[in-house]
Amino acid sequence: MKVILLTLVILASLLIIASGIWVGVALIRALSLPRRPEPPARARGDDGQA
Amino acid sequence: MDTLLSVGAVIVYVIVLTFVALRARVAREYEEFSVAKRILPLALVFGSITATYVGPGFSIGFVDKGFRSGFLFWIIGLAYAIQNISVGLLVAPRLRALKGCYTLGDAMGQKYGPRCQILAGIISVGLCTLFSAVMINAGKLVLHEMLGLPPWVSVSLLAVVAASYTTFGGLRASVTTDVFHFVLHALFLPPVLLYVLLFRFEGGAAVFFQQAVSATTEGFQSTSPLQVVSLVTLFLLGETLIPPYANLTLASKTVAVSRGSFILAGLFSALWFMVMIALGIVARTMVPPDVAQDHVLMSLVKGMMPNVGYALLLVTLVSIVLSSLNSLLNAGAVVFTQDIIRRFADLPDRVALRAGRCSTILVAGVAATAAMFVPSVIEGLLFCYSIWAPAILPALVIGLWMRQPRPWAGMLSMIVGTLVAVSFKLPFFSRTEVPPILPALACSLLAYALGHWAQGIYRRSKK
Repeated sequence: MKVILLTLVILASLLIIASGIWVGVALIRALSLPRRPEPPARARGDDGQA
Repeated sequence: MDTLLSVGAVIVYVIVLTFVALRARVAREYEEFSVAKRILPLALVFGSITATYVGPGFSIGFVDKGFRSGFLFWIIGLAYAIQNISVGLLVAPRLRALKGCYTLGDAMGQKYGPRCQILAGIISVGLCTLFSAVMINAGKLVLHEMLGLPPWVSVSLLAVVAASYTTFGGLRASVTTDVFHFVLHALFLPPVLLYVLLFRFEGGAAVFFQQAVSATTEGFQSTSPLQVVSLVTLFLLGETLIPPYANLTLASKTVAVSRGSFILAGLFSALWFMVMIALGIVARTMVPPDVAQDHVLMSLVKGMMPNVGYALLLVTLVSIVLSSLNSLLNAGAVVFTQDIIRRFADLPDRVALRAGRCSTILVAGVAATAAMFVPSVIEGLLFCYSIWAPAILPALVIGLWMRQPRPWAGMLSMIVGTLVAVSFKLPFFSRTEVPPILPALACSLLAYALGHWAQGIYRRSKK
């Protein structure tokens, strides 16, 4: 029981670190994507006469 | 030397944060500003949800709870995990499936009509501003501890930094910086626990178990059953689908992403609480028992880690505050533009975008001013939780599941829920031990049923 509790705590820490790495990789991918070109004013529903 | 390290850590943090915020780029359209063009993938939505809910309460607060009451608060915190998983299974997919929604108010408007949308908007903006004030107040304490800054400087600094990138980048900037902050929390706090357990903690598994049992026993002895019930209710309902989470649901790439991100966020919260509680338990053998409230984590890291570890901890704490704050500012601004301004004026895209940016600055300004008057972080959070659930949840959840919800029901439920929750904070009622959320929720549900029934009779009589 004593060892199980400590093991669970260590496992939880490792899972959080793993999820941090997963999300970090996704962030790097998202930031390195090139931006799509700006749509023309009409396609945005904006007639430029605000 | 310590101050030099802290300043150095802050400078590096600000440089990386600026880089991430700039890479998120300026929003060019209102849809990009408000819902990031609905293209956010699972990892980013999950990271943003978790970074938003891991505020000062779920980090510093939970370590303190672990120190004083062991795993009691982990058991209570499981209600939060259940809440997130339930939202993922039952509510988020239905909300995401609605067409043309930018906010929770839009969903209310589609179900109950424009008046309900405006009312939901007013409640949401009020709560986002209050939540932001509470976050700025928490950040003020951290910055004072870290750099010894006077309160008004800390408050202005936090509001300006969070508002600057949220104003220009909108939801996308908020999400990317949230995710950066999530990575920071996930890669710093669990390693602190592992380091202390492996290199500084004496006695191994047996002492850890003994400390956990004695702290948890003390926790159960010092907490009444009514307090446990009230805390479980607050964790279960208080933060359910508040505007930042609702906006993330609507910004998810697909219905499956919205479902999956909430389920993962729920599972993650159970792990996160366990690690925070374990840090508190470990601290029992290393930190004096009379340590000031909410100072256990800082004392532990200051005493057990190298100086640079303490500097990193303080930066992580600032990032914890900022990640919650920017989401609240963006959500408040989008709600104000979409549910209030756009209900009264038909704005073209570019003007709506400008209105969203101005609203971000407005919400940040009001929240910063209010932050100077917030008495305590926990009290402020509890007040916000008590109002949100009764005011919005019954109408929202029933509306998403019912085929033809009736406007009177939604309106009556929101008004009654808000009034009862606020009135239970008055001195007459606050003397009772009953948490406001329970009677307010019951009254809100009752009012919903009454409104539904009354409108049914009215419609039949008109026919």
